[in-house]
Amino acid sequence: MKGFHAFCVVLLIFGSVSEAKFDDFEDEEDIVEYDDNDFAEFEDVAEDSATESPQRVITTEDDEDETTVELEGQDESQEGDFEDADTQEGDTESEPYDDEEFEGYEDKPDTSSSKSKDPITIVDVPAHLQNSWESYYLEILMVTGLLAYIMNYIIGKNKNSRLAQAWFNTHRELLESNFTLVGDDGTNKEATSTGKLNQENEHIYNLWCSGRVCCEGMLIQLRFLKRQDLLNVLARMMRPVSDQVQIKVTMNDEDMDTYVFAVGTRKALVRLQKEMQDLSEFCSDKPKSGAKYGLPDSLAILSEMGEVTDGMMDTKMLHFLTHYADKIESIHFSDQFSGPKILQEEGQPLKLPDTKRTLLFTFNVPGSGNTYPKDMEALLPLMNMVIYSIDKAKKFRLNREGKQKADKNRARVEENFLKLTHVQRQEAAQSRREEKKRAEKERIMNEEDPEKQRRLEEAALRREQKKLEKKQMKMKQIKVKAM
Amino acid sequence: MSANSMSDPRRPNKVLRYKPPPSECNPALDDPTPDYMNLLGMIFSMCGLMLKLKWCAWVAVYCSFISFANSRSSEDTKQMMSSFMLSISAVVMSYLQNPQPMTPPW
Repeated sequence: MKGFHAFCVVLLIFGSVSEAKFDDFEDEEDIVEYDDNDFAEFEDVAEDSATESPQRVITTEDDEDETTVELEGQDESQEGDFEDADTQEGDTESEPYDDEEFEGYEDKPDTSSSKSKDPITIVDVPAHLQNSWESYYLEILMVTGLLAYIMNYIIGKNKNSRLAQAWFNTHRELLESNFTLVGDDGTNKEATSTGKLNQENEHIYNLWCSGRVCCEGMLIQLRFLKRQDLLNVLARMMRPVSDQVQIKVTMNDEDMDTYVFAVGTRKALVRLQKEMQDLSEFCSDKPKSGAKYGLPDSLAILSEMGEVTDGMMDTKMLHFLTHYADKIESIHFSDQFSGPKILQEEGQPLKLPDTKRTLLFTFNVPGSGNTYPKDMEALLPLMNMVIYSIDKAKKFRLNREGKQKADKNRARVEENFLKLTHVQRQEAAQSRREEKKRAEKERIMNEEDPEKQRRLEEAALRREQKKLEKKQMKMKQIKVKAM
Repeated sequence: MSANSMSDPRRPNKVLRYKPPPSECNPALDDPTPDYMNLLGMIFSMCGLMLKLKWCAWVAVYCSFISFANSRSSEDTKQMMSSFMLSISAVVMSYLQNPQPMTPPW
């Protein structure tokens, strides 16, 4: 028992001393003291523990905090790790162990550490572990861009809406005094004025007016700039464009004579002449200057015949045109209006497009993009001009010569058109016939049975003979009739 | 008949209803931007999803926004919404798969 007790006491003392030694050791006391043979065992342990215990990961980033990770084994080649061990083994200074001492400690590489033969590589901590918002700068940029786009959308939409409302408020009285129906979207059962614009888009507003002498109706389209689209706004900074008001008056057949006439800016007329079916067919000359009538240089005239120009350019019209020349883009009166030229598809015979007697007006809103609601008042006189033109178109009649010329022109155009389509139709029929023949021949060739082949060939021959006979009969009949 | 203050030019018996212009050729003539942007948006979002390119997904979001801003009121909102949702999902999926911040493509 006594021996056992003694043994226990010794063990206890042993344990406590070793712990104390451990602590002392961690506090970085001189290792020289422990060279005693009694504690040789601890020396080995100490050596191992020297490397094991203070294994710290000093991350190579800007964070102030150090993350302490206890690692097993020496596979992790962290920079501060072996340096700590080395310092502990070789350092003879008796400083207390300080965490901050090893920050930025790069002077003693000491790669001769026996623990690892791998070269020390500095590993960058991946960006998503860095936990800093700065690395996401591109994303923040993108989101900011999106927010800017949305803001611009809202602002642009509101501005366009305000401009449209301002225009309508300015013109409402004039329209209501001239038309029974002001504002219709075609969905109501009864023809009652809605009294407001149809919004087709964030930048296009329509208004349909009807119920007046001379005309079937008038469609006004407010084509604003795409203020709701940021890309468009930026593009417009390079190239200023104006808002436009397009008015299309559909006349009654009996209330307008047959003529084609246009006046506007030179650029607009050149474009219209190329694009519009009727202008290209009836007004083949280049736009002429209107100086003869006292028009400013910015405006030019396209006309079917001189008489029409003379008739159209009366004093009041000239007054309108000269005073508001900057706001006029184009004015186009036509009894053969069918819209822009439709591109012909190959092999498809065209029908003569439907025409309507129409007066078209395109006005530019002043401000060249930087428009304010009060600018809409400047367009009111132009609407007066429209009303005046409607009445004028009803009053203006061509004299006999003019009428004859006009009729001749229209007949000529129709003939040309038929000729064109006739040729096309013939070609189409011819090609169809050839295809049929080819298909039959192929069928005969592909037929494997020689008997069948012979029979089909004979049938084809017979059909052709019949056709020839028929043609001959027809020719004979025509000859007889001619005689 | 002249539109002076004496006679009223209005004729209630001659009222014609509004007929929206035929939409066969008009949408193409008017402005192809929303359709192009819609298509581009879908292509970019598919690229972003398949090739795991974050910038593709972001461009797709922008395209769908532009398409929406330029769209006509007669156009189907379902189409807009589907393209928008596709682009948002492309962005979200790119970030779920790879939470690293985006690197510029240049």
